[in-house]
Amino acid sequence: MLLIRAIVRPEKKDEVLAELSSAGFNAATMVDVVGRGKQKGIKIGGMVYDEIPKTLILMVIPEDAKDKVIKMILAIAKTGTEGTFGDGKIFVSPVDEVYTISKGTRGL
Amino acid sequence: MKEIMAIVRMKKTGATKKALIATGVAGFTAVKVLGRGRLVTDPKAIEECKEKLLSMGMDEFSESGDTDKIVTSFLDGSRSFPRRLFTILAHDDDVPRIIEAIANANRTEYGIGDGTIFVMPVADAVRVRTGEAGEAAIW
Repeated sequence: MLLIRAIVRPEKKDEVLAELSSAGFNAATMVDVVGRGKQKGIKIGGMVYDEIPKTLILMVIPEDAKDKVIKMILAIAKTGTEGTFGDGKIFVSPVDEVYTISKGTRGL
Repeated sequence: MKEIMAIVRMKKTGATKKALIATGVAGFTAVKVLGRGRLVTDPKAIEECKEKLLSMGMDEFSESGDTDKIVTSFLDGSRSFPRRLFTILAHDDDVPRIIEAIANANRTEYGIGDGTIFVMPVADAVRVRTGEAGEAAIW
């Protein structure tokens, strides 16, 4: 199993979640975060904004679903045809074990 | 070295903290998150509850048709609910013990929405105060 951490624009959150849900990946956790990227934030006038609000979406998915989910997030979270700075990032990390508390079972 | 991510009910934060102390693992990080789980695919399971909610006269406050959509999303799992995300760093040997403790503290009679526990590998950890790295940095 894999943990997908996707940092997306807050306004794209609902769209991404709706699309994932319709493809059968309903389970997700959302956190409001602030951060900056390679561009060192946004400079407007003399003011540098380096705590830009984003939404972090956490999902644990089976390994064979990785490409599908990533492709889906990439397609929706992108703004404009070429994409713009600040559209976000996706990180993928391994997950050893998963437990569902209510059923007490192992696995997704 | 493992990272345990546990998503639990807001109400169960206290119980989870107590359970962790009883297990001998006092350190954790917690964040407020929004989340949703598996969809309820069986319409019979939500039918009764749905009728009850619809009969509460919510139509007075919203457009008709809208209420049905809101109530359905409330029950079938497509809407996000507030939860608490615990992150705990642990030695490999302690992981089963911690999982057992968290699961026991969080199980309710509702059968759904009790949360999930993920266990992930961690490459390294460093304690800022002393600079010690690896297993010694956990606790």
